[in-house]
Order: sequence, then C-alpha cells, then structure tokens
Amino acid sequence: MLKYSLKRLGQSVITLFIVITIVFLLMRLMPEEGYFGQGYEKLDPIQRETILKNLGLRDPIYVQLGRFYRDLIRGNLGVSIVYRPRVPVAEILKAKIPYSLYFGLGAITLSLLAGISLGILMARSKGKFWDRIGTGYVVFINAVPAAVYYLFLQLYVTNILKLPILFKENNPVSWILPLVSMSLGSTASYAMWMRRYMVDELNKDYILLARAKGLSNKTIMVRHVFRNAFVPMAQYLPMSILLVIAGSIYIESLYSIPGMGGLLVDAIQRQDNPLVQALVLIYSSLSIAGLFIGDILMAIFDPRIKLENHGGAR
Amino acid sequence: MHSISREMEEKYINQHPILSAKDVVIKFNLRGHTLTAIREASLDLYEGESLAIVGESGSGKSVFVKSFMGLLDKNGWVDSGTINYKGYDLGKFKTEKEWLRIRGKEIAMVFQDPMTALNPLKTIGKQILEAVELHQGLRGQEAKNTVLEILRDVGISNPMVRYNQYPHEFSGGMRQRVVIAISIACSPRILICDEPTTALDVTIQAQIIQLLKNLQKKYKLTIIYITHDLGVVAKVADRIGVMYAGDIVEIGTSEEVFYNPQHPYTWALLSSLPQLGIKGEPLYSIKGTPPNLFNEIRGDAFAPRNPRALKIDFELRPPYFSVSPTHRAKTWLLDPRAPKVEPPEAIKKLREQWGSECCGK
Repeated sequence: MLKYSLKRLGQSVITLFIVITIVFLLMRLMPEEGYFGQGYEKLDPIQRETILKNLGLRDPIYVQLGRFYRDLIRGNLGVSIVYRPRVPVAEILKAKIPYSLYFGLGAITLSLLAGISLGILMARSKGKFWDRIGTGYVVFINAVPAAVYYLFLQLYVTNILKLPILFKENNPVSWILPLVSMSLGSTASYAMWMRRYMVDELNKDYILLARAKGLSNKTIMVRHVFRNAFVPMAQYLPMSILLVIAGSIYIESLYSIPGMGGLLVDAIQRQDNPLVQALVLIYSSLSIAGLFIGDILMAIFDPRIKLENHGGAR
Repeated sequence: MHSISREMEEKYINQHPILSAKDVVIKFNLRGHTLTAIREASLDLYEGESLAIVGESGSGKSVFVKSFMGLLDKNGWVDSGTINYKGYDLGKFKTEKEWLRIRGKEIAMVFQDPMTALNPLKTIGKQILEAVELHQGLRGQEAKNTVLEILRDVGISNPMVRYNQYPHEFSGGMRQRVVIAISIACSPRILICDEPTTALDVTIQAQIIQLLKNLQKKYKLTIIYITHDLGVVAKVADRIGVMYAGDIVEIGTSEEVFYNPQHPYTWALLSSLPQLGIKGEPLYSIKGTPPNLFNEIRGDAFAPRNPRALKIDFELRPPYFSVSPTHRAKTWLLDPRAPKVEPPEAIKKLREQWGSECCGK
C-alpha cells in the first residue's frame, strides 16, 4: 500500500512538473506587447527593451526556466508585473484563496451528496418517474452550455426566490446561488455514474446468490450494492474538482466574488506571467491531487487493484 | 421386476414428499407478450434424495426450481398450481417477508458460474459469515469458528488464511467450493444445484460432485441437481426428471429412466449420447427445435420432432401413465390402446443390458 502510494505520488509530482513547464513555455510564446499594458504606444523601442530586460525576459529561455524553478522551490512565486506591479504574487493570492476555497469545497461537498443521493434514487426507481426526472436533468446539464443555465439562475431564480443578485460576503443568503450553480455540473455526472454503477451491480450474479442466501433487499443494497458501486465512483472525484474549477472561473465573475477564478482570466489577458504561473500551479495541483486521492481510495476499497507487480492470482 | 428397483420403490413408497409442486404454470411477460415457461409441471421431492432434472437449454429447468425460492426474474410469476412446502404454498408467496422465511434457511442454491457468484469486494469469510449469522444465529468468535469448520468441510485447506482472502485469490473450482460453503452455511433442508459443474473443467467437476455427495450425507440434505450433463446425472441421481418445453415428461428412478425409458423425448435424448452410438454410423441428434413458448402448445410438445408420433399426439396432451410405482411418463404410447411402437436401436440395447444384468443376479 505504502509503496503504491509513494509511486503514485511520484507520478503526480512529475505530471505537475510537466504541466507547469508547458504553461511556462506557452506564456513565453505570447506577443510582447502585452507586457506594457496601456502605455505601449508611448514607449520607444529602447525603453521597451529596457523594461523587458529588467523583467528578465531577454535571458535565454532555459535561464528563465531555471530561475523560475529555483524561486519556486524556495517558496517564492515572484512578483506581479502588470496586474498589480511589484506586489508579490503570494500576497495577491492570499486575499483571494479563501473565497475560492470555501466555494470550491462547498460545491464539491454539495455535488457529492446531491449527486450520489440522486443516483441511488434513480437506480432504485429504474425506468420509473424519478429515473426519468433524473435522466432529464443529466441530459439538460450535458447538452446546454453551462453559461446559459448559470445566467438563467442568476437572472430569474434570484427574482423568484428573492435572492441577492450579487455576492456580499456578510450576507449568507448570497452564497446559495453561486454554490448551487457551481455544483450543478458535477452533481449531474455523479448522479449519472452512480446510477449506472448501481444498476450494473444489481444485475450481477452475486446479487442473486445474496438473495438466495436469504438476505433482504435492504441489506443487499447497503452491504453489497452500494459499497461496490461506490468504489468506481472514486475516480470521478478529480473530474468533479475540474468541473468546479471551470465553473468557478465564470461564476466568480458573474456574482463578483473576489476569488481566484476571475483573476486567472484577467492575468492571462494582461500577460502577467508570474501570476498566471502561480494560478496554474494551484489549479493543476488541485486536479492532480484529486486524481491521486481517487486512485488511493480505489486501492483501499478494491482488493483486486494490485499494489505491487507480482502477477494476478487468476 | 428388477431387484434394485424394488429396493428403490420401497424407499419411496411410504414416504411423504417434503416438497410437492403440482400443476405449476409459470409465465413471463416479454415485450408485451406472455410466454408460458412452465406448463403444468408437477414434482414431488423426498427427504434425503438426489433428484436430477435434465433437459435441453430453455426447457425451463432453472425457472421451475427458481420458483421454489421466489427467485424468478421480475417479469415472471407463478400463474397457477401449488408448491407445497411445510404447509406453505410457495406459489402464492408475494412479499419479500414471506420469501425470507424460505430462502437460505429452508432452501439454498448453488449457482452455475462461480466466477461471478461471489461479491468481489468482500472476503470469502465475511460472505460465509453473513449466512451463518443470519441462519444459525451465531455471533462473534463462535460464528467465525463455524465458518472455518464449513470451509474445512468443503475441502478448502488452510481455512484460517483463506478466511481473509478475496474471491479473486481463488481458482474456479475453489470458488465453487466457497459458493457451496455459503449455501451449506444457511443449513438448509433442500439444496438446489443449478448446473454446479457446467463452468468447471472435467477434473474439477468430479471433485465437486464428490464433495456434494459427501456434504449430502454429513448435513442430511435433499438435493435437486439441474443439469444437461447426463454423465453427472448417472453419478449422483437417485431419481431423474426429464424436462421438455416446460413440463416433466418422464420421471423415475435413475435406473428406470436410463435403462427403461418410455417417453420418445427420453429415447431421443439417450440416443444422442456418444456412448450409445453405433460404430461407423453418424451420431444421433434430435431434429428440429424446441417449440416456441409464446404460442399455445397443443398435444404432446415433442410430437413435431418425433418421427414416431401418433396422430393423437398432435391433438391431445397425454396424462401421466405409470410404468412402476416410481416411474411415470407423459406419452400416449403407454396407453393400452396405443399401437406397438418400436423404440430406437440404442434404447433396445439398453433394455437388453438391463434384462441381462437382471438375469445374471
């Protein structure tokens, strides 16, 4: 188990390393105009060169990369160059992370609870009313672009339920809609997969044996079906994190939540390299951590996942 | 009459059946059509015996016995007839609560494919323990000890280690032993073995059959074997029921059915055994296909495939005719008014063998 975990951890770190390297290089491919912001027209070529040189952008790319890693290992994320010049990136993020964290964790918890409950409900009433309603919901979420129902929620539901249209930190009611919006996508996928795995398990032979043994349907559901269906669900944890991140980027600006989501779009547009790199580092760490946790959970619950490489017992 | 069969007769003649199915009709609803899978089949099961039900795929063997445990698929139901067991009519059982009195505790089942019959995410110890706790009312260490004893009984060595292992750590034959252990752990009176050896290779088959025989003695089980493997039948069965198109067309002691078959379907079935083939001639096979169960069947269901069918076979369904107190068959050939029909060569040879054995004694 430990060996497997360490191996997976090593793989995760390598993946993270590759992702940030790629992002770092991509940022260097963008046109240089971005670095000067509004004042671009007023600067002459010599001034521009000086600025770029001071930013370290005229050094060979491997020197820049080396410097970036060196700083990163020391815990130094660099300073913002355009967004808020010369302010350390860490400081900018410190103010924003809590909001994104609360909303992110809230949305993941909410979608996990709602999605799995809905999935169980659908599996139990397969082909009947609740299953149809649930399927309708899943199809809707997957077919309609997220922005449409986000806007719909903000414009109409706020009106109907008399909820505030924008986020205000000390008004707990204003947290509801952003949270719900963020969790809609992953709720749908949790429900769909939970239903699917439950139905799969219910059709397996061992359920028949369990019934022949004299176990009640309720016991079979709890002790056999639910647990077995839950194991493959672990692999959807990272996906749900990604969905929530993607949702947060849009939703945070929609409800003017001062979180990280809006910041990423801003930073990319204005070519604030250190800020983008830091944000990408955070987001990709989160998704890779999700993958890692998902795999570890699977290995804990499913004894068939071989932890070491000594061939199967088949 | 033959001496061995007389012994058999005495064994059965004064006994009351522990389970008695009478005129059972089972229907299924399939895409809006109704299919009659079991057509007024009757069966008596006696304490301590091994009864084999043979028949080709789709003849309704599994469906028939599954109805004794309420394990029919959701779209199937017992339409009429009675299944008497301990004063209950199982045919009338509807709710889960009623069935929980029977399942496991009274009747348990061993399934065909041991590779999929076990929950892959639970240790086999836990899976057997579940049955022990539920039906023997034991808890804690006592229950665990019982599990270990059962594991030993089904021939699993090193039970202490095996207890904590998962199904994927077992081979096919070993898994079937575990499935058998689970059904034994319920301490049932009747054990239904639904093709217990079909999914296993031949050497393992013999072991499993021997195991079931041993367990039958030790736990005083009444066993119903469902199979289409006549080799298995010959090894284990006291009595044989031959099933065709949802009905038991012939039933008798193992010897009677093997050496003195009466129903043309039994003739055809035995004639297709390679052991009875005549050297140099192509092996016999039954022409045609079983009837479509969506349609109502008139007369004898086997008549269209039977080259020796009488005219009445197409008109009227034959009742049971008794050959001996333990042997009866549903065929008009046994009616006193029926013309004399010669059975196939292979069957004649079987009867001769039976006769000579008899005279040799």
